[in-house]
Amino acid sequence: MSDREEAGGDARSSDGVRRLWARNLLIWAALLVLLLLSLVAAYIPMGRVTTASGIVVAAAKSTLVVLLFMELASAKPQIRIAAISGLVFLVAMFALTFVDVLARP
Amino acid sequence: MTDALLAGELPLPPHPDYLRDGSTVWSWLATTDHKRIAILYAVTITVFFFLGGAAITAVRLELFEPNGWLLTSDTYNKLFSFHGIIMVWFFLVPSIPNTFGNFLLPLMIGAPDVAFPRLNLFSWYLTIAAGAFTVYALVAGGVDTGWTFYTPYSSMFSNTHVFAAAAGVFVVGFASIATGVNFIATTHMLRAPGMTWFRLPLFVWAVYATSLIMVLATPVLAISLLLVIAERVLGLPIFDPARGGDPILFQHLFWFYSHPAVYIMVLPAMGVVSEIIPCFARRRIFGYDFMVYAMLAIAGIGFFVWGHHMFVSGQSALASLVFSFLSFIIAVPSAIKVFNWTASLYRGQISFESPMLYALGFVGLFTTGGLSGLFLASIPVDIHVTDTYFVVAHFHYIMVGGSVSAFFAGLHFWWPKVTGKLYPESWAKFAAILMYAGFNMTFLPQFFAGYLGMPRRYHTYPAEFQIYNVMSSAGAAVLAVAYLLPLGYLGWSLFYGGKAAKNPWGATGLEWTATSPPPPKNFDRQPRVDRGPYDYHAQGMSAGTDPPEMQSARDTR
Amino acid sequence: MSDESALLREPWFDFGRQREAGKFGIWVFLASETLFFGALMLTYTVCRIEHPEAFAAAGRETNIWYGTINTAVLLTSSLTMAVAAQASEQSARLRRLVLSCLLLTAMLGLAFIAIKGFEYKEDIDKHLVPGAEFALPQRGAELFYGFYWLVTGVHAIHLSIGIALVSRLFWVLLRRELPAKDNPEIEVTALYWHLVDIVWIFLYPLIYLPGRAS
Repeated sequence: MSDREEAGGDARSSDGVRRLWARNLLIWAALLVLLLLSLVAAYIPMGRVTTASGIVVAAAKSTLVVLLFMELASAKPQIRIAAISGLVFLVAMFALTFVDVLARP
Repeated sequence: MTDALLAGELPLPPHPDYLRDGSTVWSWLATTDHKRIAILYAVTITVFFFLGGAAITAVRLELFEPNGWLLTSDTYNKLFSFHGIIMVWFFLVPSIPNTFGNFLLPLMIGAPDVAFPRLNLFSWYLTIAAGAFTVYALVAGGVDTGWTFYTPYSSMFSNTHVFAAAAGVFVVGFASIATGVNFIATTHMLRAPGMTWFRLPLFVWAVYATSLIMVLATPVLAISLLLVIAERVLGLPIFDPARGGDPILFQHLFWFYSHPAVYIMVLPAMGVVSEIIPCFARRRIFGYDFMVYAMLAIAGIGFFVWGHHMFVSGQSALASLVFSFLSFIIAVPSAIKVFNWTASLYRGQISFESPMLYALGFVGLFTTGGLSGLFLASIPVDIHVTDTYFVVAHFHYIMVGGSVSAFFAGLHFWWPKVTGKLYPESWAKFAAILMYAGFNMTFLPQFFAGYLGMPRRYHTYPAEFQIYNVMSSAGAAVLAVAYLLPLGYLGWSLFYGGKAAKNPWGATGLEWTATSPPPPKNFDRQPRVDRGPYDYHAQGMSAGTDPPEMQSARDTR
Repeated sequence: MSDESALLREPWFDFGRQREAGKFGIWVFLASETLFFGALMLTYTVCRIEHPEAFAAAGRETNIWYGTINTAVLLTSSLTMAVAAQASEQSARLRRLVLSCLLLTAMLGLAFIAIKGFEYKEDIDKHLVPGAEFALPQRGAELFYGFYWLVTGVHAIHLSIGIALVSRLFWVLLRRELPAKDNPEIEVTALYWHLVDIVWIFLYPLIYLPGRAS
């Protein structure tokens, strides 16, 4: 518990810290690049593709956060099922509501 | 060793049971024991049940006469709205999950408590706070939107206390989510060694499936009510057609929750009945695996059928078609369950104790309610009977005939375990039969009145419908007596009832291996499980009347 | 070992299992939150399908700078939160790193709310609040701003709860009331924080990007 307990492990620990930061800074940089990408894409007139680009980039960003920051990529199956179940019923809600909204005369 | 533990033969160290482990008010209000929280819920929902019942008693009195002799139409609207809101969110939704579920889930899986005991208590306090909002709405003058809060009436026109009522329902939704998260985590993480998924009692499966719906549907209810509140309080125009809003969108959001909510109310009832029928038929449940799949299918498909509430709302014809089809689909797993309960009786040694009477009543009434539901899934019939008493009769058959019957079945079945007391059986049988008769007297005439075109939610009606309404109101009086009777004799048993043994029904299941009432941490030694549930007779043999431990001994290979 | 016994709670016998349950429980709750915000986004989508031009015109009126900077702020707070959570798992010797990252996370959260406050002020000055004074003439533009105020408000409430949780955690760990190593509260708080971030990631294109290209 104390900070001075494992004096021998200093080198190993600082190496671990470096890897920790390297991994997460890389993800963070990717997220910022994606943010800029969606910002730029929003100003290019491509009709519906412009709208879609914003959503697709947002989905990509969230995938990064969920898989790497939230560590879903290495999580146990029951946790993955919990995460996916929310998404599945969200998709069902959108799909069945669109069956009404998009098919109205 | 394992058999001995299952049969409960180990001498238990003498320490107070959960009821006597601390007697101050604080020891109840600050408890994290799932059994005490179950009692807190039981007291709470009993109060709400009789509040909601009192409101509808006035409504039924009013409907004795066609001309509105007792109430003004405003008061009438407020009373049936209060009845609906209270009965749905403060009785039916928490009834079986939060009382029996809380009490039994850890016991049935061999755990000392639920996964998050403090969250469990917090959920009860949320329920109380929410109830305060809703009762305030009534006391302050009432709310007249009906339990469905349909826009644009609720958001633009009603000048009653919509805010307080909607806020109450909003908050009780969070209690529901908290309980759901807790039960799901408990079922996944706290099962005793050997308690595999397919050895779980069906009641645990039912509560688990219910929790899934609570967690995934309730947030959408929260949003629909939040939008109504935002429109009323902040003037946001989301559902205002004059400013481009879409009032039908409210119905999509509302029914995305409120149709699955029907299964929140009826799945736990199915779980209760699945425990009782094998016990009093001394039979293994027929088709255990399919009972499990059927419950999960009901929970899942229940999310895809909400649009059958909206056939006349102006949604697209395509949507009506799709929702109609999906609504027929969901009858399949429900039918599987009914057939399996019936098949479990075949070649059984059936005895008709009061829990069994209630449970058999459930099967009959649920089937009637379910079949009348198929009428409503069919678009042409639904358009004819929408907003008539046919719909009222249909969902009361499911919710009152089904869920409330099962609630009373469970109450009588587990009462000796919960309180350690025995109740007078002949009174209980009488109440069960009276409830069945009173229920049918009340709601069967409503099918006829509705099919002939009597609309719901009006406080006056053409004189030709009076005969049905008099029958219905007379039945309601019988039903009221049948609901008050258990309050009397169960209350009596608390003080004068005989002491209950560990397992008065000779039932299987870990909860019957604990003492009656159970000790604070449920089990003094971690139970181990080496067989499936409903071990009432050796595999491949017919039913016997021996207690389960003897049956098990014969079964050992 | 002593760390684990300090963190063990009723009704668990095994710390590993308790931790797993906490993580699983919060994921189930996050699935619930997905539907919560998902229902709001469905509301937005339906209204946008019905009023595409009005939504483009309304989206143009939002301040892209505030929106983009705030998105970057929240993404950075997710970085510090993730580092805090992973450091707490890695070694007991990284307690200081955990503490400083938690503090940074809370401060970035506060920065987000401060920037949002400036943005709200500007919106009010531009009469972008639905009602009689509303500035935009297009039918349906009010719906956009109805959604805007509601969803950013609900998000800000979620974020404030997150800031409170992170600050409390920082305080408890600073006073050594609980060990930082393998503390399940850090991981659970982190998961919640990331979800609030993800909600904003989706709100960014919905609120700030419509109508920029026309």
